[in-house]
Amino acid sequence: MQFIYLVVIILFCLGLYTILMNTNLIKIIIGINIMDSSLVLLLVALSYKPAGTAPIIDKQYSVIVDPIPQALALTAIVIGASITALMLLLTIKLNRYYNTLDISEIRRLRG
Amino acid sequence: MRRIYILALILILASLLFFTFYDLIQPKEFIDDKAQISEYYIEHGVKETGAINLVTAILFDYRAFDTLGEATVIFIAVSAISLLATKERVLVSDTNFSPIVYQGISFIIPFLYILAFYLIFYGHLSPGGGFTGGVVIATTFVLLKMTFGIRYSKEEKSLQRRSLIESIGALGFILVGILGIIMGDNFLANEGAGFHLGIAGQLLSAGVIPILNLFTGVKVGSGLAIIFHRLVREE
Amino acid sequence: MIQLIIYLLLFFIILTAFFAVFANSLISSLIALSILSSNLVILFVILQAPDVALAEVVIASGITTGFFIITIDKTGGRR
Repeated sequence: MQFIYLVVIILFCLGLYTILMNTNLIKIIIGINIMDSSLVLLLVALSYKPAGTAPIIDKQYSVIVDPIPQALALTAIVIGASITALMLLLTIKLNRYYNTLDISEIRRLRG
Repeated sequence: MRRIYILALILILASLLFFTFYDLIQPKEFIDDKAQISEYYIEHGVKETGAINLVTAILFDYRAFDTLGEATVIFIAVSAISLLATKERVLVSDTNFSPIVYQGISFIIPFLYILAFYLIFYGHLSPGGGFTGGVVIATTFVLLKMTFGIRYSKEEKSLQRRSLIESIGALGFILVGILGIIMGDNFLANEGAGFHLGIAGQLLSAGVIPILNLFTGVKVGSGLAIIFHRLVREE
Repeated sequence: MIQLIIYLLLFFIILTAFFAVFANSLISSLIALSILSSNLVILFVILQAPDVALAEVVIASGITTGFFIITIDKTGGRR
């Protein structure tokens, strides 16, 4: 159970490496998506109690997991999806204007 | 040269994060002494809101104002995409599928609608909620547009109708909240605004939560359908 | 038994994330991202969070992948 936090750190650093190293715009957007997924995994892992059940109370249970970080994770998923959609539209418009998807070319053609 | 700088930065960040999570990674006995708000919600949640699903009760009754903020974020994203997208008509070619695809999609679409409305209306009794049902409605729109051709619906009138539905969803949310103020309690109040709580575990219970679920689902669904429509029409 | 399944899922998550970052073509990266989200959903169900799992399935498999494919098609195809 403790290895989930290590996986969160690895996913976050992989996403950050993609954003900083790659020059293709769509790969950068995939990297931002990986960082979003890692944060949602962290929120769900913080709410787990050993031998607990899901937070739906139809009978009497003894140990119930924490419901607050799950509400925050639900909000984070939907907001991440709409931010990705906005970034993809900006990518289409940049491609039509500059005719390339390479970010080093777009930075050079300034002015 | 740039590569070495980036690798060094990421190694420093990874070690900082490792030291932050250090006492969570240690295997030890589980000591729970800081979760006081969660204890309160688990004990008094069903009595005060009437909903069995605790996550929906937190999202739509205790912290309903944050859900209004998230609906605003989706509204801003849809407005920004509609502002930046092109206004001219782009000629899109049709694709011809085999008859199996047409018959299969026509058979599945009503069941997808039933699934979406089940997820919305039973949100306080089983996992689901307003957001999941709204996204399934948007998936129905996407499927229809993709198989039966981009020219299936008339363009301008259907887009205006969907914008109207989205605005109705947002305004309905706010009007339910103002109803709470008129009755003399807080904004977006559940029992203080005169809504009948009912018996926990039945469909017609939990006061204002099914109404808020419906408005949120309609808003999210039509917003994502508008985003898809604008993305497909780009050059 | 459950511990073995959790370790296997974590290993697959890291493997597909590495594949999504270091792949050559864009479509391969996109498919690896979709598989990463599916493995994450199974992990959410084991960690007793059904609401989050339902939302992640519908959004990451339907909406995000569809938008990515439309963008890749409109900006020059599979390169």
